Amino acid sequence: MADTAAIRALRTMDLIPFILENPGISTHELALRFSVTQKQIEDDLSLVFLCGLPGYTPYELIDLTFEDGVVSVIDPQVLDRPRKFSNSELVVIKLGLQVLREINVDQPIKLAKIDKLFAKIFSDFDQIPFVSKNVMSSSPYYADISKAIYQRRRLKIQYQSISKDAVTERVIVPQGITVLNGNLYLHSFDLSAREERTFRLDLINKCELSEKVLEEFSLQNSKEVLVELWVDQEMLNFIERNSSIVEEQSKVDNGFKVILKVSNLEWISRAVLSHAPYIKVISPTSLSNEVNERIKRLLENYAFFAPN
Amino acid sequence: MSNQKTERLINLTLALLASKRYLTKIEIFNTVAGYQGSLETMERMFERDKDELRGLGIDIEVKGIDPLFEDEQGYLIQEDSFQIKPDAFSKEEVLYLTMAANLWHGSALHNQAKSALLKIQSLNGPTETDDVNLPVIKSTFDSDQLTVIFEAMRSHNILEFTYKGELRRVKPYGLYTRDGFWYLVGEENDLLKNFKLIRITKSLVIASKSGAFAKPESFDLNKFIQDSQSSERYQAILMVKKNQALDLRKKFPVKDIDDEWDQMSCSYSYEEEFIQSVLWHGSNVVILSPENLQKKLIAKCRQLING
Repeated sequence: MADTAAIRALRTMDLIPFILENPGISTHELALRFSVTQKQIEDDLSLVFLCGLPGYTPYELIDLTFEDGVVSVIDPQVLDRPRKFSNSELVVIKLGLQVLREINVDQPIKLAKIDKLFAKIFSDFDQIPFVSKNVMSSSPYYADISKAIYQRRRLKIQYQSISKDAVTERVIVPQGITVLNGNLYLHSFDLSAREERTFRLDLINKCELSEKVLEEFSLQNSKEVLVELWVDQEMLNFIERNSSIVEEQSKVDNGFKVILKVSNLEWISRAVLSHAPYIKVISPTSLSNEVNERIKRLLENYAFFAPN
Repeated sequence: MSNQKTERLINLTLALLASKRYLTKIEIFNTVAGYQGSLETMERMFERDKDELRGLGIDIEVKGIDPLFEDEQGYLIQEDSFQIKPDAFSKEEVLYLTMAANLWHGSALHNQAKSALLKIQSLNGPTETDDVNLPVIKSTFDSDQLTVIFEAMRSHNILEFTYKGELRRVKPYGLYTRDGFWYLVGEENDLLKNFKLIRITKSLVIASKSGAFAKPESFDLNKFIQDSQSSERYQAILMVKKNQALDLRKKFPVKDIDDEWDQMSCSYSYEEEFIQSVLWHGSNVVILSPENLQKKLIAKCRQLING
């Protein structure tokens, strides 16, 4: 659908301060930046020649040079600065600054600067009905980890695995960091397991930079199993939190049938048990047997500690 | 799409922005390029132009300019409401803003981040950052929803969407995120409610004209979020196998009981959540007290094993 005249007017007005700060920019580059065609940018710029302040003499019109596909602004009139951030832009900046804050938590100087900027930009943010209650877990090892990614170095880590309920030592080649559901995750190649592994940053207890990685790794997903579950509608949260591994989802009586692609059977066994009786294993049978075994052992304990 | 109309909208914005005083309609019609025809035609044109610009977030102020003639109104765009102030940010701050916006690369909020980035780059030109080391925010959220909700909150439009299988009509009051998920707070049938945006299954639309409701002045989003959470804390005693349940051991104190077990004192707010965290550890953690919590956990397990 073609842009409305008002949307086009806004984009055209946004072009002026952008070109002013990026003189000699090509229309091709502008098209990429503003997510429109090069022809559209050229049409917008042709329009600018006719716009300006009342009087509309050459001294009052916006003036730019537009030759051989490159543009510079000579006189922006009053459009010498960008428009204020919109509410949705402020939301992404606010959330982004919160992430920056967490990853710089061990660097007080940077932290103070981010906090100052945060206060400056959001001093009047209360007018916008938006609140972020994300509690991100930070890590003191962010700087080392990012250095290892950048310099392609190994990391020796001590990791507290929630699914195994154990602390293990691993040598990994970190690949990248993502933020998901309020947590920072490190995607890596685990040299001991020779497989791809993901670690929650706040569960890394120790971290040591090691030598450079010389060999190439072809990242392979660890062995994955398709697990079919029935999930009570009250446990929709479980599906939402794990949406990245949901292969199929359908509505059934009182809940959902989902197929998950699972690489960690220990995790799924614990997850099913912890949501008892609202998640049930449909297949594979080996998983439902495993969950039943765990329940039997657990009930034996209660028979011992609370015989009545 | 009309070039003439686009030109007129730009010229009107520039005139209202450059003026040091409020301009009357007649002054606008006489000086701003693009207003032609009878007075009535120009009035209609101006009203439409004004509404469209306001609809895109441009704050056109209106003010009575002659105390003797109340219907004589003037129009102005305040520089501070339209543009970022000169020298608002230092070079280093621009760098942080760039990094904050770049975190969203490839995520659902990529478009909002991209438009923010264009404005940041209009402040200080190209900025070099060490973005290569930055994390990437993954979000499965539908960013178009966010834009519609902000527009509805700003213009006081009623929103319509399907939620938990029912068509809802909601007055949107606020928006918040928690643990990476987005929630809308709004009034439905005189009750304030939370709606998790990921659960809105059919398209969310604006279903009224602007100004369809007035948000109560007493509404406080932070207070609503706080009130919707339980502040009560309950106590529980657990038996925990040695060297097991490491995450619980990080949070709660333990006391040594014998070679196999430790005893742990815990506090919790939500019973379901607490039972889940105990069950996660299977036979390595046992609830000793309170008895009703223990019974609930046992009943849940029996229900699962008996199908």
